[in-house]
Parts: sequence; structure tokens; C-alpha cells
Amino acid sequence: MTEIFDPTSAPVVREVRLAPRPADLRGLRLGLIENTKFNSDALLLKLADRLRDRYGMSMTHMARKRSPSHEVDDAALATLKAQSDVVVSGIGD
Amino acid sequence: MLAAGGLRGDEVFGEIPGRNTVVVADKVAVNAVLAGCRPEFFPVVAGAVKALCHPDFAYHGPASSTGGSAMVLVVNGPIVRRLGINAGNNLFGQGVRANATIGRAVRLTMMNVMQTQPGLFDRATLGNPGKYSFCFAENEDESPWEPFHVSRGLRREQSAVTVYASNSLYQIYNQLAATPEPLLRCFADALCNLGVPNVKGYSQALLVFAGEHSEVLAKSGWSRHDVATFIIEHARRPVADFKRAARLPGDPTAADETTPRAIFERPDDFLIVSAGGRAGSWSACLPGWGNKWTRPVTMPIEERS
Repeated sequence: MTEIFDPTSAPVVREVRLAPRPADLRGLRLGLIENTKFNSDALLLKLADRLRDRYGMSMTHMARKRSPSHEVDDAALATLKAQSDVVVSGIGD
Repeated sequence: MLAAGGLRGDEVFGEIPGRNTVVVADKVAVNAVLAGCRPEFFPVVAGAVKALCHPDFAYHGPASSTGGSAMVLVVNGPIVRRLGINAGNNLFGQGVRANATIGRAVRLTMMNVMQTQPGLFDRATLGNPGKYSFCFAENEDESPWEPFHVSRGLRREQSAVTVYASNSLYQIYNQLAATPEPLLRCFADALCNLGVPNVKGYSQALLVFAGEHSEVLAKSGWSRHDVATFIIEHARRPVADFKRAARLPGDPTAADETTPRAIFERPDDFLIVSAGGRAGSWSACLPGWGNKWTRPVTMPIEERS
């Protein structure tokens, strides 16, 4: 009897619940996550300007990742959670 | 394979945040068999995979980037001789089973277990041949310096594997230099060309000095720190050069013509190793991936059996 070994393994499945989406962006607080790549912050700040002009959103916090290769740290997540209704994450290069 | 490492199949080597990946010993062992490893190679494979999972390595970036990095494995300590890992002639080339299969086992594990399949979570534009396998040992017996792993805080009698992400290997030739300065100018020049990957921030580099160049450095008495300091000082060029080549934004100003931009910041951003054949005036430099967005990790190799 030959036993076959599978060299692959799948990611661990974890339940992720998405936050409820706002029905209307008007007047909401905006958080930003920039990934430290070239122009990442410039792009997101321009976006924040557009959202302010169009919906009256106020940018309350921009989190800067340790590097593009790292996740957002827990302290930044806590700040974003406390100070933002909507968060936009983006990259530059 | 597992028995040779004294490992249980369910032992967890590490996790990759953001990918929901848990790396377990039995899957790594299957990939080591696929790669053609002898069982006694497995502790090196295990150490390298644990290093990839270390938070300092920040796996997701170098593994998935368009830059297409190889995961370079540098092995040190008594295990090198025992396993016959090549530290000499044809260092980066073919022909030695340990070098070929240890690196291959790590890459297969990345693809099969760590969700690093080309086109999916490996977005390399070109990749490089080192992505098949990239493993070598330091030639500790003929090095001008203490063993590389000792310089990184381990004991001489320990064995260790260092994992480092680099998207290219550039051979440096100099057959006339009899002192460190002219030799190292060649390294500095190669590491600050206009096409280097990283000019926004600072970089890191692996330097591999082979026989004749190692001899020059040994005779001079220069330390690793001396070598790194010299290259930091000389691997720089005017900001205007980078602007003319559109590597930095904007038009060059008069001040840019005389304002130097350094590529490197700190001596410990260099990994300096002695390895390769005795004959020939060749060495190599391997720029690191990203602006220090990943850090090399040196992991002790556990031999439990």
C-alpha cells in the first residue's frame, strides 16, 4: 500500500465580520492608513481633500505603517477605531 | 525526515500574519523530500523556515513584491562540514546536493505551504534564478573575521542559518587591488548605480568576499565595521544624478549637483561574509529588498536527535 503525502496546506480559515457600511458618507470622520511607499501619503491626502469637499468628511488620523511589509500595529488600529467612522487604506510607489 | 530533526509532525514552525498561514513541521518535511534533501539536511531547512516566519523578516513584502527576491540562506557552524554544504569553488553554482536541495525545500515550502505561488501572492515581475534555490555556507576557516553567525550574537560552536531577501547578485571584479580602498570602491560604485532598487530611503546589502579579495582584507586588518564604514562613505552620488534619471522627482537644481545622497546608513546594515573559491579576483554584492522593510534573521539550527 503506497501512502501519498500532500505537500500543500491551505490557509487557516477564520471568520471575519465586516463592519456595517455607512449608508451616507456626509459628515463622517475619516481615517487613513498609508504604507510608507513613495507618494502613498500624498495620494491619500488628496483623496481626503476630495471627500471633505464632496461629503464634508473630516480627516481625523493618518496611521503610518512600519513598512509596506508589516501589518498595521495594534495601537494604530485602536486609534483608528476610536477616531474614525470610515478608514481608507492605500499604497503608493 | 522528521526523525532526523527530532521533530514531531504537528510542531508549529511559525505563522505568517495577514495570510492566515500556520507552518507545521510535517508539511515542511514533505517538501524537503520533494526537493531531494537527505534527512540530515532537515534541521537547516527547519531553521530557515522558522527564520522566514520571524516578525523581523516581515515575510509578506519580500515574498510577494514585484522585485522578485530570492531568499538567500547563509549557513554557519559545525553543521557545514558535517553536511558538506559548499563554501568554496562555484559557491553560487550547481553541483552540491546540500546547497541545491536545502534552498529548494525552502522555496517549495513557500509555494506549497506559505501561499507564495507565482501570479498569486508572489507577484515578481522577473524573479531571478535564486528563487529556485539559494543556499551557501561561509568559509569560516579562511575568513578574515570571526564567523558570521558569531558576529550576529551566536556562539562559535552553534550552527545557524541566516535568511536574507535579495533580488539580484552582482559579481565584482578587481584583479589589481592590493589594499582595501580600491577594492571597496568597486563595491561602492556597484551599490549606488542609478538602477538600484532603493533610493527613497536606505538600503542593506550582503557582501561576499572570495579568496583573493578576502586575503587583501585579511592582510589589511580591516574589520567588518571598517569595510561597511568605507562603503557607506563612498556609495553615494549627487542628488542631481538621481533626478536626471527620474529616480527622484523634480528637476535638478544647482544645489543638487553638489548635494550627495547616500544609499546606506549604518554599518550593521551590511552582512559581510567570506566564501567562494581561492583563485580568481571575484566577489559579489547582493542588494537587499526594500528600504530596510525586511531584516535578515539568524536562527540557531537545532539538532535534537
